[in-house]
Amino acid sequence: MDGHEKPEGKEKKIGRREFLKGGGSALAAGAIAAGMPASARASSGKTEYPESKAYLVYDSRICWGCQSCMFACSSAHYGEANPSLSRIQIIRDAPSFTTYPNDIVMSVCRQCVTPVCVENCPVGAAYIDTENGNVRRIDEDKCIGCRTCLEMCPQQPHRTVWNPILGKSTKCDLCIDTPFWDKKGGPGGEPACVSICPAKALKLVSDAPPQGDVKGYDVDMAPPPPKLPFGPGGPDADESASQS
Amino acid sequence: MANGFTGKIARVNLTTKEISTIDTARYEEFGGGYGIGAAIFWDLAVAPGEWDLKDPYDPRHVLPIMAGRLAATGVPGAGRTSICGLSPETFPTSEFCRGNFGGRFATMLKLAGWDGIVVEGMSDSPVWINIINDQIRIEDAKELWGTDTWEAQKRIAAMVGGRTRYGEEWMELGDSHTTGIPQILCIGPVGEARSRLAALITGSGVSGRVGGHGAVFGAKKLKAISVIGTQSIQMADAKGVLNARLWHMANGNIISGSFGPAKPGSASCNPCLRADRRRNSCYGGESMCVDQFWLETAEPREQDLAAEALMRYGASGWAAHFVGLFLSDIPGAPDFFNKKVPVETGLGWYIKYLYDIGELGPGKKIDSAPLPMEEWGSLQFRKALLDAVSRRVGIGDALAEGCLHAAEKWGRLEEDLESGALRFPAWGATGHWTLPTAEWAYNYLLGAGDPSWHGLSGAVGPSRDGTPIEKTLEALSKKTIPYTDDIFMFNYAWKGKEAWKTGLYSKHKAKEVAFTRYYASFWNESMAFCEMFLPSLPAITPEIEMKYYKAVTGRSDSFEDTMRVGQKIWTMERAIRVMHGRSRKTEVFAPFMYRPGAGCMTYFGGVPIYEDGKWRSDQAPEMYLDRQGVEDFKTHFYALEGWDKENGWPTRKTLEGYGLKRVADTMEKKGRLGT
Repeated sequence: MDGHEKPEGKEKKIGRREFLKGGGSALAAGAIAAGMPASARASSGKTEYPESKAYLVYDSRICWGCQSCMFACSSAHYGEANPSLSRIQIIRDAPSFTTYPNDIVMSVCRQCVTPVCVENCPVGAAYIDTENGNVRRIDEDKCIGCRTCLEMCPQQPHRTVWNPILGKSTKCDLCIDTPFWDKKGGPGGEPACVSICPAKALKLVSDAPPQGDVKGYDVDMAPPPPKLPFGPGGPDADESASQS
Repeated sequence: MANGFTGKIARVNLTTKEISTIDTARYEEFGGGYGIGAAIFWDLAVAPGEWDLKDPYDPRHVLPIMAGRLAATGVPGAGRTSICGLSPETFPTSEFCRGNFGGRFATMLKLAGWDGIVVEGMSDSPVWINIINDQIRIEDAKELWGTDTWEAQKRIAAMVGGRTRYGEEWMELGDSHTTGIPQILCIGPVGEARSRLAALITGSGVSGRVGGHGAVFGAKKLKAISVIGTQSIQMADAKGVLNARLWHMANGNIISGSFGPAKPGSASCNPCLRADRRRNSCYGGESMCVDQFWLETAEPREQDLAAEALMRYGASGWAAHFVGLFLSDIPGAPDFFNKKVPVETGLGWYIKYLYDIGELGPGKKIDSAPLPMEEWGSLQFRKALLDAVSRRVGIGDALAEGCLHAAEKWGRLEEDLESGALRFPAWGATGHWTLPTAEWAYNYLLGAGDPSWHGLSGAVGPSRDGTPIEKTLEALSKKTIPYTDDIFMFNYAWKGKEAWKTGLYSKHKAKEVAFTRYYASFWNESMAFCEMFLPSLPAITPEIEMKYYKAVTGRSDSFEDTMRVGQKIWTMERAIRVMHGRSRKTEVFAPFMYRPGAGCMTYFGGVPIYEDGKWRSDQAPEMYLDRQGVEDFKTHFYALEGWDKENGWPTRKTLEGYGLKRVADTMEKKGRLGT
């Protein structure tokens, strides 16, 4: 696996799904109407969406790949520890056959300004939660398990997550609905993944990161650059070699 | 079941190719992880009475490989895998030995639905075990045999996942999905050669080094175990686990590391294998690894490549040590140390010693071919050593058996154990910390293999804020459940009356050593907290352990209850050792431990010593042991544990007190029950 580039942020080649996408848009436009203000629907006929008031950003350089956030996510939402159910996926070539920093893909729902999942959901289960800062969510009661949102998500891997136990799609709701997490989620809140991360590699921000730049959510959170143990500067003299 | 268990343990017989399951609930009384592993070893390998428990390469050898109970729940630092069985590494006999390793294997094993996997039998030809959720298959490994550990893992990952790149898309496993890759435990050429230096390797740089169980894999012709899973772990109180973690982050340090703690803003890569690789964090956030330092040099590239070679060949860096990281002036040390005694010495160091005294070299009494002795210690030399051991060519055949077996073959064993040139304190395990941190030394003696337990070493050191020693020890003595409020258990006086009255050879010291075994057996080996992570005796132990434990398991046990289970596991471990021959007579230190020069460096500033009515903190570099004193210590320790004085064998009363009547019955039939 050495030498492969980090695939994060690649635009998915939709190809055979183009037809579905077009049809899905038509369906979705009506389906979301109940969940968004009328003012958001532009007169041009092209739907405009109210922007989310919160976005999860990350710093892939300082992430340890410990996947604490994934365990926190599934625990907070379902009361079960299961990385496969997590709505944030930290994908690591673990442990470490690929060289830093290309050994980690941080797969975080982008709360897209133009939410393809919302746009294409045929039954309106994917919606914009106007009561909670316009966070893009999936109503599991409405979801029919058609997997359209999984297929249409332009990110790779897709940020909508299949829950085989429920037989439904799920996605990051910024911890608005978390029966097993005491803190308040959503915009201005404290999502479980952010609170639990020991590396401080996740953060909630209010401004939309650049949508065109596939790296736009991977931000610099670490003022000092990573220290290499044997490279320039050497080991941290204050705290090295305390035990073995 | 909402208690941290998956509910079942896989049992794989490599002789018959039969795959069956064991109900985890049958063994819950042993806590989890290693505790269950030891009990299974008893039931499958000892109780049937069909095997003399001497040869670790016997097909009847059973290897329980167990995931810690708290693994795969998001509890930090608790993702370790335990392995136990007869050790090829120990000397003069193969002792029952447990080790554990970090990385991600245990977590993935549980996510696949298994609390452990028990390997028994012996395959005719190389195989690997392929676990995908509930499905287990024994696969042909002929094409993998001979590959190094990295190559083997890459090939298996490609075979299991059907993809060569990670992170591109979700992978379907039945009706579920994962973005993960298989976690693979494997051996390299050193294990295939059944070398006693063999480690088990997972990932690029995690090694299960204690015990030499990689050689048992080699004997069983088991190249690897691969596992990938997508299932859920049910906890009694998921919210409680998350809240415990928040409490931990607020009140303690969720980050640990042996060479400087990891810090936010510092993902790469200290001390992960190679400077250009990310910190090798376990699932759940705790982060450290230490074995990868195998060559100290100012040249980082060489350092990296030496570590890589060690891991690829699948050798224990500890057993193959050249010179330990820490050097000290030790009064009375043999001249060959030039007054700078290393904390650890292993195979590499011993070769150099024999070379320096003219016993080993090209054409010498011990022919060093094919090793380039003039380049001793270099990267080239190390690769040549690994290659010679793997192929068992020239001197490599003797070295593959480890220092003590090689020394025995060369007729040097007694002389070099006497002088300390073979610096292995007990049972042939590479010296780690021993004296003056006497609990380490006693753990070597009473156990088998490197105890590798740092829990008290720093805690008994001098206070950094000027707190009087007595106050520090009084606070500490509140934590050492079940033996509380006895500060003399921390007295490291080693000579004079006080050594017998309250110091190294007293009943007080027996309590300290017992505490370390109970804690380690339950919390480090069975719940699988990394021992560099917990305990945190001066601070958040036992609060944090109990918060996680109760939230995951739903049990209402007290900390004292858990320590009682730890004592039960330790007693089971003792019973197994007694059945293969352990007794007071065999339980002795190497001769150099009874001579001046036995000590090594004290870290964290010193040990507390009480003499003449006063406490002081002392580096005590001159410490060595008294033979009669050690015998007296054993008497106190055996009495504390309910083992008989003559042999150190558990009595029926003791065993039945733990609900181990079946163990007592088996021991009695064999004539090994304490009286």
